[in-house]
Amino acid sequence: MGANILIADDLSFMRMIQKEILTERGYTIVGEASDGREAVEKFKSLHPDLVLLDITMPNMNGLEAMRKIFSLDPKARVIMCSALGQQNLIVEAIKAGVKDFIVKPFKPERILSAIEKALKAS
Amino acid sequence: MTNTGLDEARLRHAFLEEAEELSQKLGDTLLALEGDRENLELINEVFRFTHSLKSESALMGYQSLSELAHRMEDVLGLARAGTLKVEKPVIDAIFAGSDLIAEMMAAISKGNRDTEFNTEAALKDLSAIVSSAPGNGHRGAPAAAAAVPAGAPAAAAAPAAAGAREIVLNDVERRQLAEARDRSESLYRITVKVAETEQMKFPRAYLVFCNLELIANVVKTDPAMDGEPVEDSLYGATTLVVTTAGNDTALREAATVDQIASVDIEPRGYEEYLAPRGARAAVSLSAAANLPPGVAAGLAPGGVPAETAPAAVSTVERTSIRVDTRKLDDLWSLIAELVLHKSHLARLSEDLGRGADVHAVREELSDSFDSLEKISSGMQQAMMDTRMIPISVIFNKFPRLVRDVSRKLGKPVELTLAGEDTEIDRSLVESLSDPLTHIIRNSLDHGIEFPEERVREGKNERGRVSVTARRQGGNIVIEIADDGRGMDTGRIRQKAVTMGIAGAQSFSEAQLLDLVFLPGFSTKDVVTDLSGRGVGMDVVATRIRGDLKGDVELRTDPGKGTRVTLVLPLTLTIVNALLVRGDNHLFAIPLTDVDSTAKVLSTEIRGEDGREISRWMEDDIPVYSLGALFGKGRRKSEEYFAVVLRHGDRKAFLLLDELIEEREIVIKPVDDLLNVHRMFSGASVLEDGRLVFILDTSLIRRENF
Repeated sequence: MGANILIADDLSFMRMIQKEILTERGYTIVGEASDGREAVEKFKSLHPDLVLLDITMPNMNGLEAMRKIFSLDPKARVIMCSALGQQNLIVEAIKAGVKDFIVKPFKPERILSAIEKALKAS
Repeated sequence: MTNTGLDEARLRHAFLEEAEELSQKLGDTLLALEGDRENLELINEVFRFTHSLKSESALMGYQSLSELAHRMEDVLGLARAGTLKVEKPVIDAIFAGSDLIAEMMAAISKGNRDTEFNTEAALKDLSAIVSSAPGNGHRGAPAAAAAVPAGAPAAAAAPAAAGAREIVLNDVERRQLAEARDRSESLYRITVKVAETEQMKFPRAYLVFCNLELIANVVKTDPAMDGEPVEDSLYGATTLVVTTAGNDTALREAATVDQIASVDIEPRGYEEYLAPRGARAAVSLSAAANLPPGVAAGLAPGGVPAETAPAAVSTVERTSIRVDTRKLDDLWSLIAELVLHKSHLARLSEDLGRGADVHAVREELSDSFDSLEKISSGMQQAMMDTRMIPISVIFNKFPRLVRDVSRKLGKPVELTLAGEDTEIDRSLVESLSDPLTHIIRNSLDHGIEFPEERVREGKNERGRVSVTARRQGGNIVIEIADDGRGMDTGRIRQKAVTMGIAGAQSFSEAQLLDLVFLPGFSTKDVVTDLSGRGVGMDVVATRIRGDLKGDVELRTDPGKGTRVTLVLPLTLTIVNALLVRGDNHLFAIPLTDVDSTAKVLSTEIRGEDGREISRWMEDDIPVYSLGALFGKGRRKSEEYFAVVLRHGDRKAFLLLDELIEEREIVIKPVDDLLNVHRMFSGASVLEDGRLVFILDTSLIRRENF
């Protein structure tokens, strides 16, 4: 329990919701990033157990950030967050090695089960 | 968000704050898009804002708002893909939606519900646009519906029906199966059902597919996974034909990811798939399946390429430009400073209102204006910088040009380039490319000798041509030099005399060389197909001196080579100019054309009307007056203000009524109707609205002196 999670989303509102849901379940939010570049930087410095990565972000999008993260650590656990209509991007992410994704708007149970499964499988 | 136990009020506050900002930005960006409808970046931004609004409001349970934003996103998605042109009805519908969203946000912030609004009309308009978009029969499944695997008649659509599906393999897949059988692998047929709650069924099924691929060989999937996906809902149940050396437990583990409702694994026999049946159908299916995804998707059922987006996309690309982000960063920091000063000024004005000490405020105001001046000139510079690109975009094609031409002529030539990083205004690129190409060809054609001749002259048998660019003050200087035979000024003089050019006998060397830029003047009577007949240095001169407001100069050293020097103003749109009054009108003269200012006494002017001269330094130079240029004759006076104009090596007095000031002006093009005598190179509008014509000083070269 208490895995360390990094949240990356350009909307502070989204980050806030995710944070609420996760901290309530006992996870620790070690960092938040508002764009892809920041996500990669924080992944490097904070070594989170899991990254929740939004696909549409400024500066560096989630896909690019994910590739960078995998190049830093091929075993990194990354869950992509996307919205409907971004099927192709998610497929791209899966091809690059992402193990799960969640679709916004998501239900709290959904994000929690995704994280649990991702942390269990390793 | 009712079952999460989150602090509802705090969430709502956060939502409102962010969504209001998004709604504001949406409106602003739409305005910009209206004026620049093909700007893909703006379309993307508008898309992103509606997309964010949709997600956030859905999360907060604002269904009407979310649905509206969703429908807007559908329209923008098509625009983004290039399928839909952003025309007035599109802009209008998005605007209407955006306005409605703003109203909803205002209502929500007051504690009302978004459902109080009637969104029906807006939704209907948006849907109408989506369904009228090319290649879109109906809303909801835009790309997917169109992408039902190409060339597959009824067979491909059939698997949509749930239940036991017939799986037909193509030749490659059958060979794969046969090989797996030879390796004694087991064959499984796996049916994966995606949870009803999963909103993206294809990616979910694809995830399973990828996981299985890691431990087994997936021979075939139905619906197909490679290429463009068919409609998402069809992947609710996906069948996979898999061979593996492992067992079904491993398969189950790999297939069981989150959001999978059931995994059904059945061992099957190879003969079921390898039996020779339905070969024809299989082949036609496989032909389509083996096409690259893009091609398959672009094919209409008849096998004819469907209407595709690329055409629309390329027009968008043409109107957008690439700018080094560092340049934009500079601009941004200046804008930040500007905003700071704006608030400073606002504070000063408030202070004044409160009766603050006028002298103190005046001092601060004057400081503030100084800073504003610095910022605005900085911004101008930064903005100009975004227009600059390295000259290498032109230079890059010269190696190839020289290689081709030198081969054709049988003259080995070595080309050296320097200063390729020198930045020039984008607008120069197109007009500069041809003249430079022409000059280089001339060098190879007429300048560089044949190898035998070079050896006889004691030169290296390889000729040398160098092209260099550098920045010099407010100008770009480009030099094209060769080590060829140079030009024979004696022959030029001879030719000038036979052509009847007045005064040619006494022309200086520079004047003689300048004749090369006259139409129809060429000392080389052999015309090759490279430099062409009739089109020569005169065209280069017109382009450089006329269109580009620059200058071109030729220097030669007989037997040693020729050097052509082009001097071009850094940018064409803003110039430093001298504002003058003459003949009761305002005119501007670019400073680059002004040698100096002077006073001329009427007694110093000699000669007859229209052919007057006066002494300047050691030379007699022509005297013009603005009035005379406009055919009105010169105003009589004892003393005149004058500008000494400079164009190339020529100088002339221009008599004026008044020298006003030196300032920067923005050049705007002048209609040919206003410019019958080609006296103006442009016009500019002053802050007070007065129109100023910019004198084209190349006219002093055209006059008969």
